[in-house]
Amino acid sequence: MDNTNTEKIVIKAPVSKRIVRPILRHVWLGFLSFIWLLPIAWLFVTSLSGYKGINTNHFFPQTWSLANYKQLLFQPDTVANFPAWFKNSMIIGVFTCIISSLFVMMTAYAFSCMRFNGRKQLMSFSITLGMFPGVLSMIAIYFVMKMIGLTNSIVGLIVIYSAGSGLGFLILKGFFDTISGSLRESAKLDGASELTIFTKIVIPLSRPMIVYTIINAFLTPWMDFVMAQLMIRSKDPKNWTVAMGLYNLVQKTLVGKYFSVFCAGGVMVAIPISILFVLMQKFYVEGITAGGVKG
Amino acid sequence: MKKKIVSLLLAASMVATLGACGSGSSSKDSSSSSAASSDSTAKADDPVQTLIKNTTGTVDLTLWCSETKEYQTVMKEIVDNFKKEYSDVDFNITIGSESEANTKDDLLKDVEAGADVFAFADDQTNELVKAGALQEVSTTYTYDPKETDTDGSLEAATIDGKVYAYPMTASNGYFLYYDKSVIPDEDAGSLDKILADCEKAGKTFGMEVSNAWYLYSFFKGAGLEANLNDDGKTTDCNWNATDTDPTGAQVAEAITAAAKSKAFKNLGNDDQMAAIKDGKMAACVNGTWSSQTVSDAWGKNLGAAKLPTFTVNGKQVQMGSFSGYKLIGVNAYSKQTGWAMLLAEYITNAENQMKIFKATGEGPANKEDQQSSDVTSSPAIAALNSQAEFASLQRVGANFWTPGNSLGQSLVEGKYSDAQKLLDEAVEGITAEVK
Amino acid sequence: MEEDKISLRQYFVKFGTAVKNGNIFTKLSLIIMGMGHWANGQYIKGCIVTGVEALFIWAICLIGGTYWPKLGTLGTVQRKEQFDPLTMQKTVNNFDNSLLILLFSIVGIVIAFFFALYYIYNIKKIYEVQQRKEAGLHVNTFKEDCREMINGKFYVTLLGLPTLGVIIINVIPIVFMTCIGFTNYDIDHQPPTYLFTWVGLKNFHTLFTSSVSDSFGYVFIRILIWTLIWAIVATFTTFIGGIFLAKFINDKRTKLPAMWRTFFVITIAIPQFVTLLLVGKMFGNNGIVNGICSQIGLTGFLEDLGIISKGLGYIPFLSKPGWAHVMIILINIWVGVPYQMLSATGLLMNIPTDQLEAAKIDGASERQIFWKITMPYIMFVMGPSLVTSIIANINNFNVIYLLTTDYTTTNMRFANSHGNEVDLLITWLFRLTNNYSNFKMASVIGIITFVICVALTLLSFSKFLQGDREEEFQ
Repeated sequence: MDNTNTEKIVIKAPVSKRIVRPILRHVWLGFLSFIWLLPIAWLFVTSLSGYKGINTNHFFPQTWSLANYKQLLFQPDTVANFPAWFKNSMIIGVFTCIISSLFVMMTAYAFSCMRFNGRKQLMSFSITLGMFPGVLSMIAIYFVMKMIGLTNSIVGLIVIYSAGSGLGFLILKGFFDTISGSLRESAKLDGASELTIFTKIVIPLSRPMIVYTIINAFLTPWMDFVMAQLMIRSKDPKNWTVAMGLYNLVQKTLVGKYFSVFCAGGVMVAIPISILFVLMQKFYVEGITAGGVKG
Repeated sequence: MKKKIVSLLLAASMVATLGACGSGSSSKDSSSSSAASSDSTAKADDPVQTLIKNTTGTVDLTLWCSETKEYQTVMKEIVDNFKKEYSDVDFNITIGSESEANTKDDLLKDVEAGADVFAFADDQTNELVKAGALQEVSTTYTYDPKETDTDGSLEAATIDGKVYAYPMTASNGYFLYYDKSVIPDEDAGSLDKILADCEKAGKTFGMEVSNAWYLYSFFKGAGLEANLNDDGKTTDCNWNATDTDPTGAQVAEAITAAAKSKAFKNLGNDDQMAAIKDGKMAACVNGTWSSQTVSDAWGKNLGAAKLPTFTVNGKQVQMGSFSGYKLIGVNAYSKQTGWAMLLAEYITNAENQMKIFKATGEGPANKEDQQSSDVTSSPAIAALNSQAEFASLQRVGANFWTPGNSLGQSLVEGKYSDAQKLLDEAVEGITAEVK
Repeated sequence: MEEDKISLRQYFVKFGTAVKNGNIFTKLSLIIMGMGHWANGQYIKGCIVTGVEALFIWAICLIGGTYWPKLGTLGTVQRKEQFDPLTMQKTVNNFDNSLLILLFSIVGIVIAFFFALYYIYNIKKIYEVQQRKEAGLHVNTFKEDCREMINGKFYVTLLGLPTLGVIIINVIPIVFMTCIGFTNYDIDHQPPTYLFTWVGLKNFHTLFTSSVSDSFGYVFIRILIWTLIWAIVATFTTFIGGIFLAKFINDKRTKLPAMWRTFFVITIAIPQFVTLLLVGKMFGNNGIVNGICSQIGLTGFLEDLGIISKGLGYIPFLSKPGWAHVMIILINIWVGVPYQMLSATGLLMNIPTDQLEAAKIDGASERQIFWKITMPYIMFVMGPSLVTSIIANINNFNVIYLLTTDYTTTNMRFANSHGNEVDLLITWLFRLTNNYSNFKMASVIGIITFVICVALTLLSFSKFLQGDREEEFQ
């Protein structure tokens, strides 16, 4: 940030600090990256394996082939219908992402920037609610959804993933809290409504955290297989989500014939999420300039 | 219309739930009517014709069966034929992928939203009936399972004297696969020799002892029992008996002794298959569902036989086993009970059981089918048949499994100090009331 | 707490005054809720309010009429079916479904509760407007009311939909499952075929009696302890790891920070359940890690050392207590650190620069800056999320469930309650409900977990919850 300062330090530093330390630093990072990437590498090479089961002896497959990807993308069968899963998950992911990001921002703003009766009680209450074991209420959620007539449908899953998301406001609220109150006050004096302050001041200032919120919201439906399995009663693979379908592929009866296909599926899923990350990374950098506004 | 064998007592009460149709008389009746009702003209009182007449609009049915490609393909074919058979009616039949092992868990979450017709493994019969999920097979229309299917398969579908499902396959039990190049035929009868051969060749023998389903075979073989009590919930188990010969503790120590062998591997099905493909494993206790993988790996060296004997207290004891069946059930909450029953009957008739056998290698429950040369020439089925006399029906309560699995794990690891104490605790868990 | 009591009393006192001192129209609003609005010239608002009232009466007649009378017994008519072998048709009696009775009753009660709140609010509002009118002050038009919704009352607009969502997805199911703990809903009493009914505290009694075959209490304590250890260790390891990693990568001495960051972010891009299943398979008894360990002789070496028992032939990474506990924590670090790194990166880039500059000018060392400025800032923003993280980890289903699918316990007491040493409460609950339909015990365990979580949170994090530091950084 301050170039002159950095240069001074470099010039003054002894050799060990100048050469050895940076090398150690990068070797250490390289080692950590290796650990973190190893399973991912295994996923990737196994997805290119000609052998369908789990290879327990060799890290790299003995025969290489693209057959798994071909099977996954172009040969949907009675167990795997990846194109349909992908489409379903994408729809659910996009809508859940929009709705829950909105919900989180809305609740965070209300709790952070506004003052009203019962605010603290409401906050404590919502944090308390989040502590109830979710798995337990699954069956009840199922019957509530059945009551509304939304079981076995994508809409139902979107509702489930996004409706309760208002409870996850804490992190964003913490961030909103750091935004200067005087900024809002002066906007109010200029005649701005709360809506304007929310959309024109607070949200732009909080980009990095909102990106984080959006990514989290988008990921939820790609990760969950338990709730999806309960809600989607259909046993026809074309109605499943990616998580359900891939999880099914590694069940005892199928894993021997579909493990490498499962790996290929894992790699394929990474694509939309990676694109999202690349797009969003830009906003992180922008966050630096946003930081400058604060006092 | 094709010939319909109407095996029902017209005079009998129309109330099926109250009167358990006497099974003996009904089958007798059907044999006489099968000869008589060859006429193709629809009689006014022919229930199937009545049903067709009363059916308006599309009949929606859902069928759950195994997710494997073989099953899905053959079921599709059978369902298409079923539609042709009743071409007067407009069907919309959906075939879903559901592993037979999970049917119960999945169905009971919401019976009303479950499949109309579903395949399941016979160990679930009891709990499905107890939950009221199965439609009683009080009457059959196109054939009578009581005549055509084996007694064992029917018994698997029967609870308290009432039949609740249609037998589909009779090969869901386990037996021994071995690689003849490692284990000569004459050694395959004894666990000790199998393990010795494997050790010599640097290969392994796989059996999932930490699964109570397989663990049972040792105790059953030694004459110890685990059975369902009359209440239909709890298990009666004497694996900890001290007054039997051999005693429970001796059996337990025998298992541990066998598991001490370097060649003995306590592995689940998928790990066994992986090891066989890798060429590490030369023998395993497994079932027909693995026949394809095993024969791919071993080719003409594939051997299949009844389970071996094992050494208890210096004596050779033949291992027992659970026999296993796959059944087709009709959902008691189906909105199309009549059609669901007809579809279930159709899937399990002699012709289609044969089709299923040819597609999947799983042996039929139909007596005639079992005699056909195709079936008898399958080594896996032959092995199962020779195991049959040592096999018994799977009738245990819900609390049998977890304590049983745990006992198996302890025995394989062999890290217990007192076998009797271990067994006592396990039996207490197995026989405990369901809470 | 004292404050709460006073404000609660005031709440009702105000309502009383409104009813007592209100004019005839305000009093009439007790029956037809829009009456007061009409009298005050707020015609559209009056219609909306009356519409809401009509809707409520309709809903309550529908739900209350059918289900509330049966709430005491949860139904008495068991399902009976008759199959007619001649027509192949089935007739079913009009049976009670305990589950639906309970669920609909709760839905009805929740609706009635919120209506009551609204009802009281409405009367107070009408009284207020009446007073304004009497004093000759301006009464808001409908348009002005609407504008107020994006301004002074913006929080109502903001919180409306999220609250509705939370009521449907969280509140109603939680109340329902809590009630289940006081019934005998289990494998023998499964609707729709069978009825279940209230049994009082019997299930709680079962939890706290313990024998070998009846070991819910024994297992509960052990699983609870492991759950708490897990939640705290898992949260702090990933939190600290994430911050250090972010700091390390964002340090200006690190070349190519974007590249390093991408390496770690890739692991998030692949869904957690895929990587977890994969890592679970890698560390399985027969997995590739064990394959390699025995090839290079590590397994034999450990056997010789006596760290693993002789003749096991594999390292029980995920299949023995102790081993599995440590591995699960390590794998969780692997899974969780990149997430934390990402959010910490966002934060590090947003630390108020002037503070850092000032510190540098004052000659503070980097270490000092980190501990005195960076960490407090991160703790301030992320602190509250630590509470949520710990709770999320108490309920972290995926990691444990996917990594321990092949785990078989050798402890009979665990086995007899269908649990094992590495289970969290949540995975145990899942197995009890999913495989054994034991909803009543699952519910009891859930309730107690809930109470413990709430108590711990309120004790240790009340500061964060109270939000009394909100102004500090502004």
